[in-house]
Amino acid sequence: MVLMKRDFLNMLIGASDALDEKIDEFSEIDSKFGDGDHGVTIGRISKVIRAKAENSSDDETLSEMFETLGRDIMNVNGGSAGPLYGSIFEGFGEGLAGMNKADEAAIKSMFAGALDNISLISNAKVGEKTLMDTLIPACEKAKSSSSPLPQLLEDITDAALQGAEYSKQCQAKFGRARFHKEATIGTMDAGAYSLYCLISGFSSAINK
Amino acid sequence: MMKKFINDPSNLTQELLEGLALANKDIVELVRGNLIVNKKLKDADRVTVVTLGGTGHEPALQGFVGEGMADVAACGDIFAAPGPESCFEALKLADKGKGIVFIVLNHAGDMLTANLTMKAAKKEGINVIKVVTQEDITTAPRDDANNRRGFVGCIPAFKIAGGAAAQGKSLEEVAAITQKFVDNMGAISVSLTGATHPVTGGDLAVLDENEMGVGMGQHGEGGGYKIPMKTADETVALLMGELVKDLSIKSGEKLMCVVNGCGATTLMELLISYRAAVKYLEARGIEVVANIVNELLTVQETGGYQLFIARMDDELLSYWSEPCDTPYFKRLPTMK
Repeated sequence: MVLMKRDFLNMLIGASDALDEKIDEFSEIDSKFGDGDHGVTIGRISKVIRAKAENSSDDETLSEMFETLGRDIMNVNGGSAGPLYGSIFEGFGEGLAGMNKADEAAIKSMFAGALDNISLISNAKVGEKTLMDTLIPACEKAKSSSSPLPQLLEDITDAALQGAEYSKQCQAKFGRARFHKEATIGTMDAGAYSLYCLISGFSSAINK
Repeated sequence: MMKKFINDPSNLTQELLEGLALANKDIVELVRGNLIVNKKLKDADRVTVVTLGGTGHEPALQGFVGEGMADVAACGDIFAAPGPESCFEALKLADKGKGIVFIVLNHAGDMLTANLTMKAAKKEGINVIKVVTQEDITTAPRDDANNRRGFVGCIPAFKIAGGAAAQGKSLEEVAAITQKFVDNMGAISVSLTGATHPVTGGDLAVLDENEMGVGMGQHGEGGGYKIPMKTADETVALLMGELVKDLSIKSGEKLMCVVNGCGATTLMELLISYRAAVKYLEARGIEVVANIVNELLTVQETGGYQLFIARMDDELLSYWSEPCDTPYFKRLPTMK
């Protein structure tokens, strides 16, 4: 299977739907060790994603679409989530540079691009209770899986879920949660969860 | 949920910034939706001062924009840093050819945005030096300052930077002076009652009737520890003891002391606590030469305060004494 621009627009809608479903949950998790507004910020990011899906002009390339979307996300005025999610989407765009359709190799490049780009602003590793607990395993799975599309997206989603689950047992080392230290163990990281939801939304749009 | 005088929560930030600009028409204006700008910035022929941060801490940060303090504040949503694009616009507005000092509080969102902004600024050739405030002493030792949060110290820092700029210092000088000031300050918070997030309605912190929280953050992110309630003097002795130790303040030194009310603590309590602070220091041969006792950087309706000290010398005092005119901090020119 090869993904065309139309499929990517559906993936964006799928991601936005998946995020919208869980807005309250995101805030609830975030209220334990933060100020409880992750849902509000994700809601904003979801709107921006949906707006891009609805308004991307036909001559906007995959790369331009993701990069401009990344910039819009970066500027939702939502604290850390803006720059972090914005970098991920910009990175998707960089990974898809020069392509007008995506095969398995392109998806691998897309996720590699995201990890490369966010690493420019964050040095968080797996195990520090951040969205990297989801992103790093997802990108590693993207790289290592030999599944064809659309199964490849399911594989990535499974790895993302496992990563988000793993974040539960980690102690927060970044963001506001880190001031609660060991008390953070046992609760999933809000950003790890929302990123898993976003990735699952990509997959469910294609794996209908 | 705490009862608050708000309208639709999704318009909260916009309405609060519009209100600030309307209430201070001669001093500031609201530009581009989320930049509070010194109206006299257009005539500035000096180093300028820019800052960024979430709203919800009124009067901080944007209440301190005006001649002699910050020239532009890029404002985010409640407790959330603004995006890098608006911060970049803030820097462009503040670029008057003599350089910009960009004062950033150490919080994850603020720092992520500030670093992206600095990257864009360098690319554009904007002459800007970043100074990070990270004076909360409770979360990490002094030599691990990257894990220390920025508390109320940014406000005096705006004043020091603004004062040095008003005296015509160069960008490198203003940045070095501000950096020296922020490297020699410390703050610690004590809380009696928690507050609620105005948009989500969630609790920021919950404390029992008879306990106080020492070292809790200013967005509900906790930290520190809880102990049984003490008297005002006992509390100050505990907090000031930690501050003096952290900064290795010696007898004979001179300090600035700020008692920053976090929103629900009465001025009565702040004044009683300030008295205790001055006496504690005097008993140790330490003189307080500058102070503010007020609500500067609040945390909604949190009961409690941040106790802040900073090393002072004659040079810093001269910058501190410069006139300034912002909505929530003004200093008249001294009569000669």
